[in-house]
Amino acid sequence: MSMQKIFSVVRREFVERVRTKAFLISTLLLPVFMVGVFLLPILMTGTSRTSRVAIVDASSAAVGPQIAAAMQTEKIGTRPDAEARYSVQVFPAAEDQLTAVRDGLVAKTGFGRGAGTDQWSGVLVLTDATLASGKLAYYGGNVGGLESMGKLQRTLSQALAAWRLGKSGIDQKLVKEATAPADLQTIKVEDGKLAGQSGEQSFILAYAMGFILYLAVLIYGQQTMTSVVEEKNSRIMEVLASSLTPFQMLLGKVLGVGSAGLAQMAIWGGSAALLSSQSGAIGALFGANAATLQSLPIPSMSAGVLVVFLLYFALGFLLYGALYAAIGAMCNSIQETQQYALFVTMFVLVGFFAMFSVIRDPNSTMGMVMSLIPFFAPFVMPVRWSMTTVPPLELAMSLGLMIIGLLLCTWLAGRIYRTGILMYGKKPSWREVWRWIRA
Amino acid sequence: MASPSVRISAVTKRFSGHLAVNQLSLDVYPGGIFGLLGPNGAGKSTTIRLIMGILEPDEGSISLFGLLDGSRSLSARIGYLPEERGLYKKMQVLDHLIFLGETKGISRRDARVRAQAWLERLGIADWAQKKVEDLSKGMQQKVQFAGALLHEPELVILDEPFSGLDPVNAQVMKDIVVGIAAEGRTVLFSTHVMEQAERMCDHIAIIARGATVVNGAVAQVKADFGGRHIALAFTHDKERAETILADRTLVASIDDYGASAELQLVDGADPQALLAALVRERVGLRRFELVEPSLQSIFIAKVGADAAVAHAEMSA
Repeated sequence: MSMQKIFSVVRREFVERVRTKAFLISTLLLPVFMVGVFLLPILMTGTSRTSRVAIVDASSAAVGPQIAAAMQTEKIGTRPDAEARYSVQVFPAAEDQLTAVRDGLVAKTGFGRGAGTDQWSGVLVLTDATLASGKLAYYGGNVGGLESMGKLQRTLSQALAAWRLGKSGIDQKLVKEATAPADLQTIKVEDGKLAGQSGEQSFILAYAMGFILYLAVLIYGQQTMTSVVEEKNSRIMEVLASSLTPFQMLLGKVLGVGSAGLAQMAIWGGSAALLSSQSGAIGALFGANAATLQSLPIPSMSAGVLVVFLLYFALGFLLYGALYAAIGAMCNSIQETQQYALFVTMFVLVGFFAMFSVIRDPNSTMGMVMSLIPFFAPFVMPVRWSMTTVPPLELAMSLGLMIIGLLLCTWLAGRIYRTGILMYGKKPSWREVWRWIRA
Repeated sequence: MASPSVRISAVTKRFSGHLAVNQLSLDVYPGGIFGLLGPNGAGKSTTIRLIMGILEPDEGSISLFGLLDGSRSLSARIGYLPEERGLYKKMQVLDHLIFLGETKGISRRDARVRAQAWLERLGIADWAQKKVEDLSKGMQQKVQFAGALLHEPELVILDEPFSGLDPVNAQVMKDIVVGIAAEGRTVLFSTHVMEQAERMCDHIAIIARGATVVNGAVAQVKADFGGRHIALAFTHDKERAETILADRTLVASIDDYGASAELQLVDGADPQALLAALVRERVGLRRFELVEPSLQSIFIAKVGADAAVAHAEMSA
């Protein structure tokens, strides 16, 4: 009987929430936003196109051709038939003509694609002074692109190093072998098995999980709070209180709002999965080539990580939902709630920001301690679980404490709820709230 | 006699120093309509909330159907219309009624059938798919009324059920309340409108300052109040009656309504003497009738002073 009543409250909360326009719009908008985020790198960066670079060579040793040759060996991607990253042309110039030649080239630089035939992506200037100091000047339309500039810098460093070594009489072949760069491929290991995930991917996955929980707790936790205040204001509370216990009302509300949130997350998660599985097709639609798509880190989630994430998501959401509901019960208007909600929101924020430091070093003492504190564990533990190997005992302890914390918070919230929902008038002091809890 | 549906035993409730209900005792027996009367601030709503278990008494106890379990576990047998009406504004009317039925423990399917029947009966079936906020206040009250009665409770508790209703809707509600009593179920309602209580209730309790002033069957209450009461109605020249009505050897007290008045004669005074005096002064009379005391006059006589004080306190 009582379960049926809770269920009817859960259903009402869920159905009434999912039916609203706001829910529909936010549910649709985020995937659109996600597609945008996914496509933006493809549409915005020029890295996948061959850059046309002009080298103004005013050096006495005529280094230009050698550097141009080095640049021309760079390819986009790792496939054998990949396009060259740079197309380079050298313009020798005497020291006194340097400025004129350079400015002439710069004038044809930085236009949009197809603006002119003599158009350059950038102009590189080599003089004796800059070669000696290593501080080369590059005039380009995309100097803000950190990744492409980084690549250019690496290429130039290598070419310069090779030239300097060659000048000292060292064999070119030896130079080439000595300066071949190391490439680190990171592959995550989970329970002694390869997880098939690069370090970058597990980073993004951890970040995404923390962010989703953070959003869900803030958005849906606050919605729970708001709807309790609305129930108080519409005076429906008294009708409900005559047939439902405060605990049934609290639990029904938190579960109902939570399941609406979970439904939205499921839709988002589903569309993200679809997006990543169809990334090729979608990319092709926007004219991106396969190599670019390969370089996009789209994480996959192993079953273990998913289970841990969902577990902590549910526990964390219930814990914070109950606390937010209690705050709602204490207040008579949305404005009033802000002051009290801050205390709960602070815990959310601390957990969320702790996650960043844990992502950086998942095995730190801080990460371990944080994953034992019920308020922070939902943010920290899934991240650690996805990034490093957590001993099962530690997980069990964290979950155990989490459940104890949840029960305590629900009990506390229930006590506040019981008195608060029928209290109108001035907002209570903390001392009064303490009296409600002890009563 | 059967055990009372509601028994309030020496209940006291305080709100931060203010005594809302003071050693109140009250029995409501099954069947019939029980009126809980009292001036504003007398503690009517607090008493009802205590019965409904929304508030906990500081002292004393309340039993329902002879059980001390509290109204929530018995909510399937009780219907409640709170003084502060409230519904989910964004919900559709039919969905809302179904939900209210479910919280009383009836199945969803059953609740749907009953909700539709109630909407038909109240003449708002066309609004079933509309949102509550699109309804007029009167219609919202009807929906709430239906919500309280959907599960056919054997005890119906209504806090000021007729306030804010136009005469037509008030009549509809009145018929429903009378119908419930006619089916042998129990109605307890509060009001400060005496005429209504007088016409509908078979038992009343008048409370003031949180304590019972008068309690019992309406006929008994009137008999106990005693005295000879005369109802007067004037057509013209009422001012000529003033010296006669002010004669304290003849008239004990008067409740003056302008065009009519109700007065209580001094013990042993002769109604004929009063009539003769009025005729002699050529006062235009439409009505001169020996009557039972009205609840209104009993109410005024018993709690008039208290009511005045209560009003002064509230406005202070």
